[in-house]
Amino acid sequence: MDIMETKNLTKSYADFVAVSGLNLHVPKGAVYGFLGPNGAGKSTTMKMFLGLTKPTSGSFTIDGKRYPENRVEILREIGSFIEAPAFYGNLSGEENLEIIRRILGLPKSSVPEALETVGLTPFKKRLARKYSLGMKQRLGLAGALIGRPPILILDEPTNGLDPVGIHEIRTLIRSLPEKFDCTVLVSSHLLSEIELMADYVGILNHGHLLFEGTLEELKENAVSRGYPTDNLEEMFLALIDADNRMPEKRMPEKRSSKNWTSEKRMPGEHRRKGGAG
Amino acid sequence: MRTFSGRRSVLPKCNGVLSGCNGILLEGRKIKRTGFFPAFFGGGILAAAVPIVNMAVRSEMYLGLQGTAIQILMDANWQMMAMLNVLLVVSGACLLYHVEHADGGLQKMRSLPIREGSVFFGKVAVMMLMCVLVLAMEAASVSFCSWHWFKGQAGGGQWRGEGGNMFAIELCKSFGYAFLLILPCVVLSFLIAEACKNMWVSLGIGVVCVFTATMLPTSSFVLSLFPFAMPFQVFAGMEAAWVTRFACAAVVEIVVLGGVERLVVRGKGAFE
Repeated sequence: MDIMETKNLTKSYADFVAVSGLNLHVPKGAVYGFLGPNGAGKSTTMKMFLGLTKPTSGSFTIDGKRYPENRVEILREIGSFIEAPAFYGNLSGEENLEIIRRILGLPKSSVPEALETVGLTPFKKRLARKYSLGMKQRLGLAGALIGRPPILILDEPTNGLDPVGIHEIRTLIRSLPEKFDCTVLVSSHLLSEIELMADYVGILNHGHLLFEGTLEELKENAVSRGYPTDNLEEMFLALIDADNRMPEKRMPEKRSSKNWTSEKRMPGEHRRKGGAG
Repeated sequence: MRTFSGRRSVLPKCNGVLSGCNGILLEGRKIKRTGFFPAFFGGGILAAAVPIVNMAVRSEMYLGLQGTAIQILMDANWQMMAMLNVLLVVSGACLLYHVEHADGGLQKMRSLPIREGSVFFGKVAVMMLMCVLVLAMEAASVSFCSWHWFKGQAGGGQWRGEGGNMFAIELCKSFGYAFLLILPCVVLSFLIAEACKNMWVSLGIGVVCVFTATMLPTSSFVLSLFPFAMPFQVFAGMEAAWVTRFACAAVVEIVVLGGVERLVVRGKGAFE
């Protein structure tokens, strides 16, 4: 079952198309890695899910709810972290989470628990503006995780973290579906990172979805198309490079109905690599 | 890893959506350590000191004038007091939105299940409360001046009996009217502060608006309707018909500016 689904989701600014005809399917209980180079449209797509940006055309449903009719209901189910950590610099880490807790109507214990989860308890009284970049990142994650939301949208959550922090957050994200029974949509421009976290991947380039499926399916496709499969990094680069060489393929009217994405999987058909759902 | 004791999805539907009172409390929490309360308290003291200092320095200029004590005091001091009030509103609005824009707090709020525009109207409500505080301080100052310098004169300095009641009613009317006329300026200041991510830009626009308002001729009704010029109107001594016109204009401006905010909120996502 897909908990998040988009239908021809498009976002354009004047003559620039950031996201074009996106058909995304995020299975419930999975970690879905949203992969693509900088400027591919990952953040824009995630912003559309949160109502921060309005789609130019197309639609999406989250847990069966439609935007914009069910905006508040959708946001109640989503914990998010977009682009950079967002907080109030004049408040401490604890006070920042307290504001979110009050809005969500959660019990008081949810604040210390969220702080503990991201390892910020010793620094909870420090003003957020005095946090290091890594600590701000953790505070942003705590704000997303507070209240165990059924859906987590994390945009490059490991940016600015040291290797130990990256490992901790990666392990945390990996464990979330099983422990909190939630679905995670996590973006990155690093395949190596997504490879270690995700059950499914969606590869985006210039606003178009090039591939959607499991990593095994990605490898199979790469083999069939003659792309290098020695390591996933090269395979990803080859895929992006091939797409960049064929800009005409991106024109909606010239796109084959049997592109790589639609060939591989029809909407709703998911084979789970593992985990819940 | 510990498990959370509360979960969003199991919450009843009424939770998570801010009610009016909760919205004000929440906005009040965000103001911590910004200097907003001390600024308004200090500004209120400064504005309240204007009539006292004026009367202490040159009371002979006003004691022989015709009219009630409130009328004389307001005519003599209100322009300066109103200017300080409007500057406080402008700087307060910039400060309140600066904490939202500086570290992306506003974006976080927009990704939480609150009604669009609740942050704006919560801030307007906080500012309204602060305006009440400042105006109360100013009313206390005018009362003191009236009691101290106009004792024994008609319409001034009486604290007890019928005269006292009349004085209290006139005072409440004057400052209630001042409160109503400052509201369009409050809403417009917040609209400007919300639109400009850089606090200095919104502060600059606000200051230009304040000085423009002071230069507008008060004889022109249409020009006096500029939201930053409205707070300079004085209730005491004004004809009832003009009082009604300005009061109606203020209500219309508040509704129109509130509607503009709704449109801004709705159109926001389309351009981001």
